[in-house]
Amino acid sequence: MPEARQLGQAAASRTGSSVRLWMAAPALLIVGSILVAPLLLDTYMVNILIRAFFVAIAAITVDIVWGYCGTLTFGQSAFFGIGVYALAIIFTEYGFGSWQALLAIATAIVVAAAVAAMTGWLSFYPGSTPLYASIVSLVVPIVLVQILYSGGTFTGSSSGLVGFESFDLELENWFRLAGLSLAAVAAVALIVMWSDTGRLLKALRDNDERCTYLGVNTSRYRIIVLVLTAIIASLAGFGYAAFGGVAAPENASFTFGTRLIIMVALGGRGTIIGAIVGALSIEVASAYLSGSLPYVWELIIGVALIAVILAFPDGLVGLVKRLTHGIQPSEPRATTRLEPIETTAIKSADSEIAIEVKEVSKHFGSLSVLDGVEFTAKRCELLSLVGPNGAGKTTLIRCLSDGRERSAGFVAITGQAIDRLPPNRIVKFGLGRKFQAASIFEALTVAECLRVARTHRSRPSVVSTSTSLELPPAVISVVERSGLSERLDEVARHLSHGLKQALELAMVLSLEPEVLLLDEPTAGLTRAERQAFADILTSLASRDRLCILLVEHDLDFVREISSRIIVLHQGRIALDGSVDAVVNSALVREIYTGQQTGASGGER
Amino acid sequence: MLIVALDAVTTAALLFVISSGLLIVFGVMKIINFAHAAFVTVGAYAALVGARLGLPWVLVLPLAFATGAACGVLTEATIVRRLYQRPLDAILATWGLGIVIGQIVTLIFGRGVQFVQAPVAGTIDLFGVDYSAYRILMIGAALVVALIFSALLNGTRLGLSTRAVIMNEMLAQGLGVDSARVRLVTFAIGSGLAALSGALITPLSSVDPNMGVPWLISAFMLVMVSGGSLLTLAVSSLVLGSLQVIVSTFVNPILGGLTIAICAAVVLRIRPEGFARA
Repeated sequence: MPEARQLGQAAASRTGSSVRLWMAAPALLIVGSILVAPLLLDTYMVNILIRAFFVAIAAITVDIVWGYCGTLTFGQSAFFGIGVYALAIIFTEYGFGSWQALLAIATAIVVAAAVAAMTGWLSFYPGSTPLYASIVSLVVPIVLVQILYSGGTFTGSSSGLVGFESFDLELENWFRLAGLSLAAVAAVALIVMWSDTGRLLKALRDNDERCTYLGVNTSRYRIIVLVLTAIIASLAGFGYAAFGGVAAPENASFTFGTRLIIMVALGGRGTIIGAIVGALSIEVASAYLSGSLPYVWELIIGVALIAVILAFPDGLVGLVKRLTHGIQPSEPRATTRLEPIETTAIKSADSEIAIEVKEVSKHFGSLSVLDGVEFTAKRCELLSLVGPNGAGKTTLIRCLSDGRERSAGFVAITGQAIDRLPPNRIVKFGLGRKFQAASIFEALTVAECLRVARTHRSRPSVVSTSTSLELPPAVISVVERSGLSERLDEVARHLSHGLKQALELAMVLSLEPEVLLLDEPTAGLTRAERQAFADILTSLASRDRLCILLVEHDLDFVREISSRIIVLHQGRIALDGSVDAVVNSALVREIYTGQQTGASGGER
Repeated sequence: MLIVALDAVTTAALLFVISSGLLIVFGVMKIINFAHAAFVTVGAYAALVGARLGLPWVLVLPLAFATGAACGVLTEATIVRRLYQRPLDAILATWGLGIVIGQIVTLIFGRGVQFVQAPVAGTIDLFGVDYSAYRILMIGAALVVALIFSALLNGTRLGLSTRAVIMNEMLAQGLGVDSARVRLVTFAIGSGLAALSGALITPLSSVDPNMGVPWLISAFMLVMVSGGSLLTLAVSSLVLGSLQVIVSTFVNPILGGLTIAICAAVVLRIRPEGFARA
């Protein structure tokens, strides 16, 4: 399909709005068939499809939370159930009418948002694990169903609520309403997921820690996503109950929650389309099969789930994509232009202290890893931290960049005490941290990784992907010197080890940090790459006037670039001095060569 | 009051027995086995079959354990082994397995609720109150499980390898520990324990194809809160189990059933390491 590709490229170069224009034809086709279909299908099928459309909307929300943001959630059924019961309870209590309908919608939205905010607060906090969030999402529908059971006649207990008057629409129009709602939700979801914000969500899924260290409050993003998807799921439940005229505890149960996950898994996670395909096919198939073969049908679903997870984790949509490789237009990915920006930050005087560490210690139980570490570092300094394995170098870096790490002591970055703040707040003080193993977003392209790294400066668009990327000069220089500039639209997973390290450095520099922490940046690099790294670091310290703290094993490398060296030994600072003084000291020779020289350390 | 205290201790014992299998799997493999509930059910049905065949109770328990362990070996070798790199997918796949086992049990035994006689019937007089003898027996069962468990972990070569894998899998592999075998055995023991606990609870509750599920959430939460050690699991079972009994008795049984889940979630939110290092 060369035309399609050309069209795609042309559209991409003319920003996101025309991408959507290019997709208008299939959209019209879908809307058309939704309008016509109820006239062609039999009543039974129309009935099933109307329900399936509402369920598919809930499945889309599962796909956003799980497929895009990486939280396996069993809880979306709870929000669906809230919508179902908001309508059923209000129509049962107050009868049917326009104000009742408005009240029911408002209740559905408010209650779902509140429960989602609560759940989000419980599930997402600095340091929470995906597994824990998953288990909490399991608790939510279970708690809700127990509340419904104990609600007496108000909630209808285990038999649910029936017989309330509801919206009176013809079947065909229900079909059109449900179908168009699904299409609209899917379109909005696709636009947002393909936008820069969608990329950021994928970045959260790929590497939450990296996002945190890029100054992104990941918990807040996750909670916002959960609240928004909860509202959509709740409205889907509202529609489901309005059409069906029944509210049952099963609508809120975690069994339904897992059913939604199964739909997304079978259809293909992280695609939106997969959620719809999975939901519609399972709903339709179970309508036909669960009556005649109830247990066998469940068995088939269970087996299918296991098989898909083991053999095709991308689900049906992924399978089709693989089979028709290259024909399917994938997500529109724009070619990116780099644009240098003026660094606006008013940089302080050279003499100002950038890192201040006082009496910092860290212990795990009775094991002391750091003990009374104290030093300061100024701007333009390239300070190397050396010491044998287990000396506490990485622990020290952690204590500088995450306020909750140290057991005691005081740390200030650019003059601001870090207290017990999480990394994303400390990053705002002007700290950048590069990890030991290149920590990037494997599923994103180089340009997208850099854009996520700029989140703190330019809020990502919710509807479009921008084609220009504004970066500070230091980043552009790294990107150009490393050769990343030729591979901006390549997926980061396919980069070489050296390029991944360069990309991470570029991402960290995109923060425009004043203090840069690097943990063995040259490990595993070739000689040439190592030399390039040395050049970049020295120019960052001298030209961009950064304070750089470098953990390094290679003494030759350290000697070449450092302005000062600190030797960490058994959790204490053993030496702190100029390059010559440290490298030639007896202690360093003893540590690094194992030679016993008779002289003991501590020449501070 | 004494009855509430006895209820609390025996409930804690039950929770401990049910969670211990989940804990060992979580500790070694860092995955949550969602088929745990299904293995509990399998154990219960094994006990049912054993009892119907007229086997003595001392043979029914090993039968249940062996059935569960066999299921565990099959599961590990065919499903779990391929998903170590994808822990969330492992949750899903084991959940799928749970569905499959539940349906197979239903196809064989039907949906109906069935009952098993307790091996020790009646009540015994304890500090002046009559209390179910079988429930008291549960305390003993929990102690036995705990003792065997720590003996295995601390006294055998396999236990040493297991502890090494729990602490640092890469290092253990480097030192020649066959971590694949450790995982297989661990999963088998975990599943066997699930089935054993299923057999143990049958006289107290009815047997039906979904009987394991209500226990599952409490067991998950206890394992998460305990942070991976047997001792803290015992402590968490006792604290949260007692709370559950207190809420069920004095407030409302439905709320009681949710106590563990809600308390554990809040505890973990405030103190992410749970009861570990408390």
